[in-house]
Amino acid sequence: MKKILLSFGMLAVAAFSSAQQDATREVLERLALAARAEQAGLLEELAALGDPYIKDFVGAWRTGEVFSYEVSEDETIALRRVSERYIRVATGESFEVADEEDERLKKIRPSRKLRRALKTITDTIDLSSPDAKTRIEAALKLGLSQNTDYLEVLRKKLEIEEDAKVRLKLEEAINISLLANAPDDAALSAAIERLGELKSLPARDGIAGIQDRAAEAGDEALVETCASAIEKIDAARRTIERWGNLVRGLSTGSVLLIVAFGLAITFGLMGIINMAHGEFIAIGGYTCFVVQNLFADAFGVQSAAYQWFFWTSLPVAFLVAGAVGFGLEKGMFRFLYKRPLESLLATWGLSMIMQQLFRLKFGAANVQVNTPDALIGSLEVGGVALSYTRIFVIAFAGVVVLMTWILLSKTNLGLYIRSVMQNRNMASSLGIPVSRVNSLTFAFGCGLAALAGAALSQIGNVGPTMGQAYIVDSFMVVVVGGVGNLLGAGLSALGIGTVDQFLQPYWGPVMGKIIVYFAIILFLQWKPGGLFPTKSRSMDD
Amino acid sequence: MKIFDTRIEFFGFIAAACVLLLVLPSMNAFFPEGSALHVSSFQISLWGKYVTYAVLAMSLNALWGYTGLLCLCQSLFFALGAYAFGMYLVLHIGVDEVYNTPLPVFMDFQGYTELPWYWAPFEWGPFAVLAAVAIPGLVAFAFGALVFRSRIKGVYFSIITQALTYALMLLFFKNNLELFGQSYILFGGNNGLNDFKEIFGADVNSAATQRWLFVASVVLMLLVYLLIAWVLKTKFGKVQQAIRDSENRIRFSGYSTTAYKLLIFTVCAMIAGAAGALYVPQVGGINANEMTPAKSLDVVVWVAFGGRGTKFGPILGAVVVSMLKSYFLRAAPDSWLIILGAIFIFTVLFMPNGLVGLPKQLKPLWKRIRNSSAPGGESPATSGS
Amino acid sequence: MARIPAEKHTPLVLSVEGVDKSFDGFKAIDDLNFYLSDGELRTVIGPNGAGKSTFMDLVTARTKPDNGKILFHRDDGEDIDLTRVREHHVSQLGIGRKFQNPTVYKSHTVYDNLKLSLSGKRGLLHALFYRESPSDRDKIFSVMETIRLAKHADVIAGALSHGQKQWLEIGMLLAQDPKIMLVDEPAAGMSDEETERTGELLLSLEGKHSLIVIEHDMEFVRQIARRVTVLHQGHVLKEGSFDFVKSDPRVIEVYLGRQARKH
Repeated sequence: MKKILLSFGMLAVAAFSSAQQDATREVLERLALAARAEQAGLLEELAALGDPYIKDFVGAWRTGEVFSYEVSEDETIALRRVSERYIRVATGESFEVADEEDERLKKIRPSRKLRRALKTITDTIDLSSPDAKTRIEAALKLGLSQNTDYLEVLRKKLEIEEDAKVRLKLEEAINISLLANAPDDAALSAAIERLGELKSLPARDGIAGIQDRAAEAGDEALVETCASAIEKIDAARRTIERWGNLVRGLSTGSVLLIVAFGLAITFGLMGIINMAHGEFIAIGGYTCFVVQNLFADAFGVQSAAYQWFFWTSLPVAFLVAGAVGFGLEKGMFRFLYKRPLESLLATWGLSMIMQQLFRLKFGAANVQVNTPDALIGSLEVGGVALSYTRIFVIAFAGVVVLMTWILLSKTNLGLYIRSVMQNRNMASSLGIPVSRVNSLTFAFGCGLAALAGAALSQIGNVGPTMGQAYIVDSFMVVVVGGVGNLLGAGLSALGIGTVDQFLQPYWGPVMGKIIVYFAIILFLQWKPGGLFPTKSRSMDD
Repeated sequence: MKIFDTRIEFFGFIAAACVLLLVLPSMNAFFPEGSALHVSSFQISLWGKYVTYAVLAMSLNALWGYTGLLCLCQSLFFALGAYAFGMYLVLHIGVDEVYNTPLPVFMDFQGYTELPWYWAPFEWGPFAVLAAVAIPGLVAFAFGALVFRSRIKGVYFSIITQALTYALMLLFFKNNLELFGQSYILFGGNNGLNDFKEIFGADVNSAATQRWLFVASVVLMLLVYLLIAWVLKTKFGKVQQAIRDSENRIRFSGYSTTAYKLLIFTVCAMIAGAAGALYVPQVGGINANEMTPAKSLDVVVWVAFGGRGTKFGPILGAVVVSMLKSYFLRAAPDSWLIILGAIFIFTVLFMPNGLVGLPKQLKPLWKRIRNSSAPGGESPATSGS
Repeated sequence: MARIPAEKHTPLVLSVEGVDKSFDGFKAIDDLNFYLSDGELRTVIGPNGAGKSTFMDLVTARTKPDNGKILFHRDDGEDIDLTRVREHHVSQLGIGRKFQNPTVYKSHTVYDNLKLSLSGKRGLLHALFYRESPSDRDKIFSVMETIRLAKHADVIAGALSHGQKQWLEIGMLLAQDPKIMLVDEPAAGMSDEETERTGELLLSLEGKHSLIVIEHDMEFVRQIARRVTVLHQGHVLKEGSFDFVKSDPRVIEVYLGRQARKH
């Protein structure tokens, strides 16, 4: 996965600045061959260019992969060795060196002073990157190093930087650097104050350290300044954490929601507790894996078409699980209608068989499903990074809910389903093809589970027991929501998912889960039938 | 009052008691190895394990078969009992040779130098024995009080009990519990408690000890059998079955079904705990894997396969399925889960009364086969019936 | 307003005053007032959704009312607020109920069904150490005579016919010997002959017990009717003799009229 990313990144870099690179190469060759006196001027020239290739070259130079070559008495050129071949630095064209032992070929090494100068250039090179994100990262890195050499570079960059976001980060970096390099107390206080205003998370530890030292030295005013800055930073951090939790909770809840929808439909419609529902989740996950491999074989991982594997596997997962569900309904489940306890047992047996089959086919370890490029990275909102995969899962759940709703309320099948749910006998005497409706609904429920599994492949693991982790939770969702009630299932899925995520930072995942379960049991004391209980007059339910 | 239904049952019980309590242990003790009549110590502790499983299955049967409560936390109670007694055993290992610590090794790893207060009482054997029964009982009582009060029943009961099992399993997989800023060491995490040396002063692995443990397990099984048989004859047993058949009716007849269910649930948990306490020294360890929801469902298969709602079915089911398991895990380890799953499905779909009910179920079929294979003249006359 | 006045000298056993109950905004019971005298046989009729079953649920504490009082007047003069009692206590107080669908313990014998219903203690220890006394046996056999199941004492209840199950459930009520019997559609699913005998049985209980019978079958109502209460939309529409309510135009409109049109 990393490899793929890397190669894509390199391709992109190669495309964007070949013209600039030519100039850089030119300068680099001159620098490599230059006498000590000429170096200063060339270095300045190089710093202005700010080409990422410099980094690459300096790396090679330091490791001894750069050579000088006397073509003739008055022409010497610089060569770089790249995997047993030599290329000319200035042009990038390959150059034939007949004999490695050739006396005209000399390894050149930069002097200690030059190395330092080059390091400053390479370290600050990212500050000139055309990509704002890279600039931000570089600025923070330089700030955190608290190296006085970089302080000036950062200040210079701040003067010419146009992007407001990057300016803020540059300022943050300068101030972080000042925490160690402030010329006097007033400047230090100002830096701390400014960092508080900037809500700088990376500066927190540094400020806390200064606070401790100030407390020891008895500098009340400085302690005060630090405390107020830390307070501001902590408040910001809490907000970020809260949002992060909310998104994580909502995305987990979304998966639960899709799973619980399928369960609620099959249970509401046919009175079947499907313990194998979790294995249909796994079918979804494994379908993504298989489709990914097929795409990789057919198109190669580098191709643009490969990127479509995930989007293709969504409908495929739905269809595969639907087909399996359809077959199982015909062969097994239809004998179990309205016998929830028996169905629970038989489907548990099924679940064991399916799990073992996954293990035999795909191995007991988790398999890797890649993330398509479109979902890599994260969306930054007010300092909070929300990963695209999680946002996708939430949106996906929304789409699934919408489609389920449309299916149930706007189509003929939906009408049939609802009427069979309410009164099986009446529906069948009205000429509704009950057994077909059952099969299709069951297949639909299984398809939903597979969609959940496909979504899960982006935020969790794909393995033979992946469904098990969700199945207990999703049963709780169904119970809390009120059996067969989709609105209830929706609300309780999001509720349970979110509450779980919010408890985790304070109690840890295990205690968090235990507390959630306990809360559910208490909730059922208050509302035994769940959020939206089904009403029945019958005495024996 | 008569406890047994039939004379066959009575003599069967006596015979089983004789064989299990006298014959097998003596064959182990008095015949030399290699003799045709010798029963190996391995066999004795293996069967001891099966017997504790049988007791576990009986406790589930009392809940599910007779009261209609499909409880998916029976193996949790079993494991709680096992852990309680395992704590006693692990505290009597003595000083570890490698790490030179009188504490259980996992505590030493965590930097403990003395026993935490909630571990200390388990050093005393009688307390551990009591706790092995009382702790599952208390958990069941507290949980049951909440669940039954809010009228959770049927599948919902199953789901809720499964969640309880799952939650506690997660807890027992942990090494430490952080609570209100305090850290509490738990029960050995992934590895659980094992490597026992001594039980009430005797070597836990010696043939004699294992024999006594086997005898104790059998006694427990026989006592539980008698208890269940007796209760079934009383009005209590009738109320129990009435709860299964029509809970609302029996409640409107004035019985507090909540109280009845709570008592049954608690007692069954205690029985399971006792079985667990006998299980742990015979198997030599306990870990959180014994608590997974899957284990509880295994118990359900035993009962369903043997015949739920019958006195003998659960015993038969537990033993037969466990034997199948140990056979297939050796013969075809990859397919064991598939076979177990198939047993599950087959039992539910085609054997509603389990093995015990099979002869009755097959009788009409057998009759038909016999009739059709019988010489021509007879069949038309009997085929009408 | 022409109402047949309740006989003043008979004390009340049950009074329901100003009771409301709604489910999700639907008013199942709306300001219901209902009084039952000691030993009275009352028939309650009403169209589907009139709130008959909810009414029974309220009296047996299966559901709690939103408003209003439901009092059970005991022989000793004490009034018991049935809204504050748990379900299983209701029967111990002396109120028995027969459900709409016959509900018996299907894997017990007829005899055991009745044994479980016999009035007496209900505790856990009692149930464990209970021994059948000769008087209990006599009581069970006399009930079996009454419901004509004496020959079926050892038959598993699940194997009985629908009508027999109905009777068995009535028998379970008798064994319980309650002060008030709530009987929900006793004649449902019975043959004509069985229905008539059920009617006779109920009539014979009048005076010994106070009965509330809910019924749909108008022939059956005619047979047993003394005083009839017509429920409509959770409210008492009319109360009086069968002939009186039958001739009331509003009752005809909401209930009998519909029936008449249907037939």
